[in-house]
Amino acid sequence: MSETILRVENLVTHYGETKVLDGVSFDVEKGEIFVIIGGSGCGKSTLLKHMCGLLRPTSGSIYYGDRDITVMDEEELVTIQRAIGIALQSSGLFNSMTIGDNVAMPLREYGNVDPALIDAVVRMKLSLVGMATAQHLMPSELSGGMRKRAGLARAIALDPPVVYFDEPSAGLDPIMAAGLDDLILDLRRMLGTTFIIVTHELDSIRKIADRMLMLDRGKTVFLGTVDDVETQGSDRVRQFFDRRADEYITQRNI
Amino acid sequence: MTEARVTAPPRLGQEEGRQLITEVKARAGKGGDVVIDLGNTQEMDSLGGACLVDTALIVKRRNGAFRIENARGPVAEFIEMIEPALHPPPPRPKPEDSTFVEIGGKALRYVGEVGEFLALCFDAFYWTIIAPFEGRGFRWGIFVDEVLEMGVRAVRIVFLMNFLLGLIIAMLSAAQARGFGITIYVADLVMIGFARELAAIMTAVVVSARTGAAIAAEIATMKVQEEIDAMRGMGLSTSQFLVAPKVLALSVSLPCLMTIGLVAGILGGCVWGVFVLGFPPSVWLDETLGAAHLSDLMQGYLKTLFFAIAIALIGCHNGFRVTGGSRGVGLMTTRAVVMDIFVMICIDIVFAAIFYYVLGR
Repeated sequence: MSETILRVENLVTHYGETKVLDGVSFDVEKGEIFVIIGGSGCGKSTLLKHMCGLLRPTSGSIYYGDRDITVMDEEELVTIQRAIGIALQSSGLFNSMTIGDNVAMPLREYGNVDPALIDAVVRMKLSLVGMATAQHLMPSELSGGMRKRAGLARAIALDPPVVYFDEPSAGLDPIMAAGLDDLILDLRRMLGTTFIIVTHELDSIRKIADRMLMLDRGKTVFLGTVDDVETQGSDRVRQFFDRRADEYITQRNI
Repeated sequence: MTEARVTAPPRLGQEEGRQLITEVKARAGKGGDVVIDLGNTQEMDSLGGACLVDTALIVKRRNGAFRIENARGPVAEFIEMIEPALHPPPPRPKPEDSTFVEIGGKALRYVGEVGEFLALCFDAFYWTIIAPFEGRGFRWGIFVDEVLEMGVRAVRIVFLMNFLLGLIIAMLSAAQARGFGITIYVADLVMIGFARELAAIMTAVVVSARTGAAIAAEIATMKVQEEIDAMRGMGLSTSQFLVAPKVLALSVSLPCLMTIGLVAGILGGCVWGVFVLGFPPSVWLDETLGAAHLSDLMQGYLKTLFFAIAIALIGCHNGFRVTGGSRGVGLMTTRAVVMDIFVMICIDIVFAAIFYYVLGR
């Protein structure tokens, strides 16, 4: 675990006049589970969208290996995006297709996969996320947790080296959330996948995070392991981990 | 039964997996059990796993038993995770087998839908006409917004469409009338045609595509995003907040739009008559006004009122019926517009028949 797979340098971004990210820098190592935390509206999802190339920053760089995606043209960017899996907060499943077709879509469109094997890959990916029997169901027939897992199955369809996961356990029951944590750990162990996860769930962070980045109003307030929180964490991080409320939420009006 | 034992290579990927499948097919071609020995395999990826899944399916289709043996370490864990996929896949859901069940089901669905639509009509009637007089407020704020959106914003397109249609009608009929030397009667034709039929239909078609689709899409999206449930959960009536203001707003705006359409259509005919056929404007205008009868106009307005109510209610009805997500919204919007046009023609036929047979016009 020493090879750096992704490096973010001094990322600054604005929504209109508002500065959303302010000089964020970190790197992610291969096979790591890297968690991004922070209060609502602190820029976590925005950061994730920048790392997937869905948004362009005002300044700063994001390197995959030695290639900076912030200066790439669309065509190059697409080749990078094909090598990453994205599971979004509300799953992003295509409503007009069955779950099986959703998972098969990346395989059919640009995977170097034998067409005869696609069905088998789909069933395997679905059984990895515990949904082997849901292949022919439509997304609207699934519960929230199943949709999240189906979204993950689609994200890992091509065995991408990097998977982004936005809020994997939000809205799930504790059993399902714990199952999803185990699944992430299993996939990392078996396929060597690097996970970059945005989450609020403290239990989940303690269980899966190798390292984490905490953002607060667009700035990095902590970067390190969960154990480091006790020794080197600022008040803000400890407050997050101790779940202590403050006046500050109402003041910020978010 | 024979048992074929196939040893997998040290690294199991797509290529090696394909060879494995070929070997299994060759050795257990006519059925029989297959054992895959993963004793040598230290590494495998998803595509290798998929090949195992495929092999299992092939063997089980030929009524053989499929087993994996000697998997160790990470490979064993991987196999454990993909184990559910090694069983035959779930069958695709089949449609109802009996024709009677299907026909009956369809009939019941139609009856159910008609029931829902009637309930919606009743609700809309109550919240638009009765409830305001019982002191249960009508949402005037929403009503004004809707009139602005449905009516005022549609003025330009309605004017343009009717103007062009007027031009076309004048053009077509002038070509026929010229042979008899009665081109001045084109002015009568345009007037009567627009008053009785064309302004009403053309305006309603434009509004149905614009507003009918918007109503269906808006309500369907609200339903998909649970806004409708939230509203009902707060004890608020969706008919009061969503349906009634829309029905009343469209009932007010559509006749106004039709008036604009009527003027635009006559103007279109007039442009052709004056600039191409060469009649002085006063002659054309006199002829036009001479052909204007109140009963023709009443027929157009009466129809328009029914069109307005139909467009609003059909939009709401289809919006509320949505199932599924984004796909459902698209389907229901399409359905609303198609239903609008169909119902419009039906209403038109009924009115035409009534006026022809009963009133003799």
